[in-house]
Amino acid sequence: MAQSVLLISRQAPWAGIAAAEALDIALAAGAFDLPLSMLFMDDGVFQLLAQQQPQILEQKDLSANLQALPMFGIEQLYVAQQCLSERGLADSSLAIEAERLDDLQIQQLIRQFDHVITL
Amino acid sequence: MKFVINVLSASTAPSTRRALRFAQALLASGHEIVRVFFYQDGVLTASNNIVVAQDQQDIAQQWQAFITEHQLDAVVCIAAALRRGVLDQAEAQRYQRDAVNLAEGYQLSGLGQLHDGLQQADRLISFGGE
Amino acid sequence: MTTLHILNSSPANTAQLKSCLRVLSVGDGIVLTGEAVQALRAGSAAVQKLSACEHAYRLYALQEDVQARAIDTAEMPVTLLDYPAFVALCVEYARVNSWT
Repeated sequence: MAQSVLLISRQAPWAGIAAAEALDIALAAGAFDLPLSMLFMDDGVFQLLAQQQPQILEQKDLSANLQALPMFGIEQLYVAQQCLSERGLADSSLAIEAERLDDLQIQQLIRQFDHVITL
Repeated sequence: MKFVINVLSASTAPSTRRALRFAQALLASGHEIVRVFFYQDGVLTASNNIVVAQDQQDIAQQWQAFITEHQLDAVVCIAAALRRGVLDQAEAQRYQRDAVNLAEGYQLSGLGQLHDGLQQADRLISFGGE
Repeated sequence: MTTLHILNSSPANTAQLKSCLRVLSVGDGIVLTGEAVQALRAGSAAVQKLSACEHAYRLYALQEDVQARAIDTAEMPVTLLDYPAFVALCVEYARVNSWT
């Protein structure tokens, strides 16, 4: 049975390239049909917001990559509810479908995986 | 146990030195390193173009010596390397760049190698940031 | 199946410690390395956060980082590690989550 990976993405989309490089890890797992789930927490939750305009910063739009995740078989996407709330985003619409988890649920989530990568 | 070590920081970062000391202790304890994967700024650790002052530790050189001595599988993510200016002969030629600066002992490859390593390993440990 | 969390950045400057404590499970371990050992300074806001955390977790720190910074851990419930002990810990816990 394949080993499972939880990828935790904590950086804002254009704070640097960490967010994009985390997504690349997820897409690569999908391309090889490997079980990888993704959790967005801390400033990583900013990646999920709808209606951002990266082109104004001459930056790459990550939402295309995010939307490609399910097509690559990366369907288990989670977002930290507390982190959304702390950033005034509790009621914001997200650009992709991600299951909102509270802290206790995140604790339980981490325990399900063989490997964890936090970027 | 089998380990994959992810190096995510450049040779100037304390975490890159910690990664090396950890890796050395790992082998000394009788464990196996399936792969050392260099990603994000970690690709800069694989540059052969680093010059360190005489009174300082040359962590990049020490990493290279460690990899060579133990014949470890040291993979540098090609996409991360290109965008940071670390190229091997093939890529320098392909993109018409002057410098070939991937140090001896390292290979450029894709993220598939990270995942392949994770499928073989009992443990993953990453070193990055500071 | 417990997790060993590795921290490496300043608790005052970053959210690393705060976020880690929120996703910690009972029985997990925390290894403070690099600037994260500043969290062991007596009287600091960070050391209070560490003791206030309601979970039962085990606290470790890389000895070289504690000693280099002249931090007194005599009164702390923290186990200091050299690299061989650090390796052994990674084997003991089911998975390692490095925070960067």
